Amino acid sequence: MAQEKMLTGCSAAAQALKLAEVEVICSYPIRPYTAIMMELSKMVANGELDAEFVHGEGEHAQLSVVLGASACGARAVTGSAGVGVTYAFELYSPVAGGRYPLQMTIADRTLDPPGDFGSEHTDAMSTRDQGWILGWASTPQEVFDNTLMGYRIGEDPRIMLPQMTCQDGYFISHIPDKVKLADLKQVKEFLPPYSAPHPISTTCPVSHGPQIRPDQGAPMDAQRAATFLDLPKVIKEATEDYNRIFGRNYDPFLEKYKLEDAEIAFFIQGAHSNTCRTAVDTLRKQGLKAGMARPRWVRPWPTREIAEALGHVKAVGSIETSTSYGGAMRGGNLIHELRASLYDLDERPLTTSFMAGLGGETIWPEDFEFMAKVLSQMVREKRAQKYVYWIGFEE
Amino acid sequence: MKAFDYKFQHFEPVKSFKGAPREEMYVPGHRTCAGCGPALNYRLVAKAAGRDTIFIGPTGCMYVANSSYLCTPYAVSWIHAQITNGGAVASGIEAAYKVLARKGKYNGPFPNIIVMAGDGGTADIGLQAASAMMYRGHKVLFICYDNESYANTGIQTSPTTPYGANTTFTPPGKEIPEGKTLFPKDVPQLFIGGHPLLKYAATTSVAYPLDLMNKVRKALSYEGPTFLHMLTPCPKGWQFDEKLTMEMGKLAVETGMWSLYEWENNEYKYTHVPKKYKPVGEYMKHQGRFKHLKEEHIAKMQAFVDEKIQKVKAAAKPVEAPVPTPKKKA
Repeated sequence: MAQEKMLTGCSAAAQALKLAEVEVICSYPIRPYTAIMMELSKMVANGELDAEFVHGEGEHAQLSVVLGASACGARAVTGSAGVGVTYAFELYSPVAGGRYPLQMTIADRTLDPPGDFGSEHTDAMSTRDQGWILGWASTPQEVFDNTLMGYRIGEDPRIMLPQMTCQDGYFISHIPDKVKLADLKQVKEFLPPYSAPHPISTTCPVSHGPQIRPDQGAPMDAQRAATFLDLPKVIKEATEDYNRIFGRNYDPFLEKYKLEDAEIAFFIQGAHSNTCRTAVDTLRKQGLKAGMARPRWVRPWPTREIAEALGHVKAVGSIETSTSYGGAMRGGNLIHELRASLYDLDERPLTTSFMAGLGGETIWPEDFEFMAKVLSQMVREKRAQKYVYWIGFEE
Repeated sequence: MKAFDYKFQHFEPVKSFKGAPREEMYVPGHRTCAGCGPALNYRLVAKAAGRDTIFIGPTGCMYVANSSYLCTPYAVSWIHAQITNGGAVASGIEAAYKVLARKGKYNGPFPNIIVMAGDGGTADIGLQAASAMMYRGHKVLFICYDNESYANTGIQTSPTTPYGANTTFTPPGKEIPEGKTLFPKDVPQLFIGGHPLLKYAATTSVAYPLDLMNKVRKALSYEGPTFLHMLTPCPKGWQFDEKLTMEMGKLAVETGMWSLYEWENNEYKYTHVPKKYKPVGEYMKHQGRFKHLKEEHIAKMQAFVDEKIQKVKAAAKPVEAPVPTPKKKA
């Protein structure tokens, strides 16, 4: 039987990576994700995991090392946080464009300046247009589960894409919670061995990444775009298999909390959704029909599922844990795609956004109460007064 | 760590041109310039290394001119790396083959893993990745094919561009008459100086092909990181007649602009040391990149080279040539 243990998000990620039998690991220290690598290095040192543990000289090198490894057919993992995620930027497109299904495990951290250890999603969100599968967990359990699901989805021969599996720094990465582990047998049933279709090898010579003519570029872009159209189907299959084999109950794309009859809803990803659920319960006790939608994946963006789940709601507020300075809505990132997802509905909810949880701040229950007031006012007035509210700075 | 037989390859030296492998691993079909030194160099390296080889090609001439339009001239596996990260991608490939071999997923001889990086991809933007690869001790041959500029982007100065060269980033002008004012980095010294696991480093010139192939083979026979600094004259960047590529490779050695040596077991062994060095002007006069220079600049270059020659003379004890020397024509 699978054990249940109190684990931090970092430990949960490391345990899942061990069960995935990762073969090449490339580390570089930056808080708070470092603890994942510390645990993996112990497993390798103790002989619990037969893998090459490469000490990268920076995040750029980390991604380069795992790119090389994945190109040869080894299951590879690296990870980072904050400015480490952005230091590696050159490699995101070559990894995705080369269709190397490696995994990058992220514990979010704010970008500089100034130096701040707190969680903020801007680091990984800034990579969202680079062609990776990108998603956020909300608990150490979900970190464990997404790690295994990530490889299964990314390595699917129909997909072949890298995955960025994210967890909030500290809130998830460093606070222990109950985690149901898994047996190797279950993992083997769920996750077949990685098989690269055209590995860099001596037995069958191949060339990876030659230059192309401009007219050869668009077909490749179109191919990658088409792969993202296939992704939802593969994510659905993988999630259903995961739920069946491991006894979980994930919605593939969107956690829907008390949305059926909701009049106002919060749209939120990551760790703060845990506080949000409690806030929804409190608001409901006060007679307010509140609900919550939590995307599990940002890429692929669950456009249809959002329209289906939130179409009937009167006002939706996206809670932005990342910044998009000067963007269309003058706040964070989620609001743009949330609005785009709802645009084609005949009757669509009013929308606004809340800048909250930035710099690693906690989003408190009373903050959700404030947001609920704003949303209720929107419903009453049938319009949004503003498209962005800075929580803690508003009158 | 438990001992494991990775089936590393070991090579015998090539004794003569006739004895060199016939099989080409770098084949026609590329788009390099006429008289391209780096292309000829690639052919010799690939020939010496043979079938069980993987090339990592950081961005540079040997990426852009070789792999245009989805075609490549490599008869062995090749992967593009960014200009920044040849050493790191190679490290990942080496790590993958080690773990795949241990797990029984790969049973062949351990591949020759060769990074073919330009001077920018080695000594400039790629230096960090190259250094880390050598520090960690990956079994990889890191090659710097040195054409002394960022040639593929239109001849911009790199850390190995010689003093006085006219490049598109160091044009000579009224205020800066000599063009490039700096002297180049000593690339092998960057690696020899601070990488305890580096086993072997050597320099080659494309004009000495047998010496070149044997240094490749020796480097590939070591069970750890090795480095070759390979002089590859560039007709376009240096502005010389394309039929003079071999001549430039030879004159570089005969004037002391370039010296041929091996470094192993903490010892330097020089080969092809001229009995009497020719003046650097003999080398420079063929090259348009130096044609704006005045006598005082050439004297400055001569002084720089004289200092290098002193070092060679001090180190070049009468040793047996470590690799076979091509026989003189009758």
